[in-house]
Order: sequence, then C-alpha cells, then structure tokens
Amino acid sequence: MAAGWWTKKRHYFLYIVREFTALPLALWLLWLLYEIYRAGRGPAHFYAPSSTAFVIFSVICLAFALYHSFTFLSLAGVILHFKVLDKPVRSRLIVISQFGLWLVASIVIGAVLIGLGR
Amino acid sequence: MGGQVAEKRITVRATRFDPAKDSAPRLQSYDIPFSDESMVVLDALNYIKAHVDGSLSYRWSCRMGICGSCGMTVNGTPKLTCSAFLRDYWPGSVTVTPLNNFPIVRDLVVDMEDFMHKLKSIKPWIIRKQEMPLGAGEHRQTMDQIDDFRQLSQCINCMLCYAACPVYGLDDKFLGPAAIALSRRYNLDSRDEGTKERLPVLASSDGIWECSFVGECSVVCPKGVDPAKAIQQTKLDTTMRFVLPFGNRD
Repeated sequence: MAAGWWTKKRHYFLYIVREFTALPLALWLLWLLYEIYRAGRGPAHFYAPSSTAFVIFSVICLAFALYHSFTFLSLAGVILHFKVLDKPVRSRLIVISQFGLWLVASIVIGAVLIGLGR
Repeated sequence: MGGQVAEKRITVRATRFDPAKDSAPRLQSYDIPFSDESMVVLDALNYIKAHVDGSLSYRWSCRMGICGSCGMTVNGTPKLTCSAFLRDYWPGSVTVTPLNNFPIVRDLVVDMEDFMHKLKSIKPWIIRKQEMPLGAGEHRQTMDQIDDFRQLSQCINCMLCYAACPVYGLDDKFLGPAAIALSRRYNLDSRDEGTKERLPVLASSDGIWECSFVGECSVVCPKGVDPAKAIQQTKLDTTMRFVLPFGNRD
C-alpha cells in the first residue's frame, strides 16, 4: 500500500486523526507527571505554568482530548453488547447513556476541583 | 423538424493485465452506449465483452447481489458491480479496477486463494462435541437465538471488506473482516459448540487484535453485516472469557 493511503478517503483520514489524538494527550500527561514530580520536591520547586505557549498547547490538547472522548464514547456503543430482559440493548441507547455519564462525571470532577481550589 | 436525439454514452475505463505479456496493469478506455437508466457497471462490462473486446476478463454470476462474485473497485471504492448504477456516475466516467489488496490474475480477476485459506481456518460450519443421531430430530432454535447471529449470516464472501481494509493491505497475514465475522456467526449460534476450536485462530497475533477499528469494512459491506462491530465484540468476549474466572466458558 502507498504511504498516503489515508489521504484517499475521508473515512481513512478521520481514522488517522482519531488515532493521532493519543499523541498530544500522551505529551500533556508526560508534562503532568513532570509537574507532579516538581510538586513532590516541595513548594520552593513548584510554580504554576502560565506562559502563552503553554496555554496554547493545553487548549490544543483539550481539543484533541474532546475529539478522542467523542470518538471513544461513540464507538463504545458499537462494542458493548448486552441484553436486558432477553432483548439486546440498542447501540444508540448505550452511546447516549455514556455521554450522559461523561457529562455527570465532568460536572462532579469540576465541582470537586473548584471546591478544592477555594 | 425531427432531429435525432443524441445517444447517451459513458466512458468506462477498465484495468487490463495479461501476466504473460504485461509488466504492469494499465487502464483501457471504452466509450459505450448508456441506453438504460437501470444499467449497472456489470452491464457495461458485459457490453464491452460482447460488443467491443471479448478478451476482457472479470468474475460475475448471479447479477443480483447474492453470489458475491462481481466485487471490483469502482471509482476507488470496493463495490459489487451488479449493484453500482451507471446513473450515479454519469456524465462522469467510471473507472473499474480489481479489488485492492489482492494479487491480480488477469484484468479484473483477483487471486482469492488467501481469503479461501483464511475462511477455512476459522471452521465456518456447525461443530458439535457429539452429533445427535438423525432420528433425534432437528436442532431447534428460538427467534431470539436466531437474531443473535442473523445479521452475520448475511455475508456472501464478496471480499469487499478485505479490499477496504488498510490493515489487511499493510499486512496480509491479518485474518480479515469477513473471516472473523463469520467465525462470530458460528460462535453465537446456539447449535454450535466449536468456540474453543476457533479461539486459537481468532486470538492469535494475526487475528482480532490486529484490527485497529478503521471501520471501512462495514461501510463497504453490501449486505450490512458490520464486520467491524463483529471484530470489536469478539475482542470484548475473548477478553471477558480470559478475565472471568467461571462464566462465559464452554
């Protein structure tokens, strides 16, 4: 296959974008590990990152994280399969419930973080 | 003032390749009448063979989307040529090439040997630990039990999913969408007891774990089998089978 096979179809391209989202997420998590390491050495070694470049990097990572989550939750509805009262649960219902759980989890985590920050 | 209505025509380009003469496949262009709105790409190929060039080689049989023989690449997308209407391409041209990811035997005919070998490896038939005597009657199933595998049993082995799969294109050792979907069809059949026999092939390094869920196999499937879904669900079932201490085993 030619190296540019993924540029031939929109579906292939979106698949590559989906897979690529893991890379910025991994970079951001590596940075987070480094921040935890610095924080572990005491308050004297820690300072909140606030440079413009870091903010831009984080916003880009957030966009990729949201797209990654969207594709993950959408595809999970295809993968998960179980029956209730001997009838298979519809994929769409599984997807909607996953997005609902995602929203609830985001609100709870956000509330906890804001609460801790005060 | 009865002027003649110009005959509608369409350009069909088809791959020509004779391994005895040609070093590489080439495209040959044919300008043919597009006389009927119901004409499909297979009709165009049949017209070329009957009226223009009898040496053009391609596979076909039923002409109604059942046999799975006439799969080719039409304008870059794997399709059954008996279901690809010329009206969807006209006034543009139609380019017909062999199915991607398979060696070409001649013109539009590909070598199916690899697929046949893979199909056989997953034992696509009902396996019983002990056969019941004929006098005991048939194996009965409820409608719910049939619904578990009905969609997967629609596969006609047309190989369009293999032609659309970049994983198979990059590594032809991959078991592939149709073979995995068909193995799941039998594993889900309440009459079958052969899951353990199929598992070594399915869970091998060339089996389900090679799939990275591109999903194009399900997009091109002409029978709505959804092999991508079958593969991901088999991954989940195989994992649960490994993780669960008691359940989900034979």
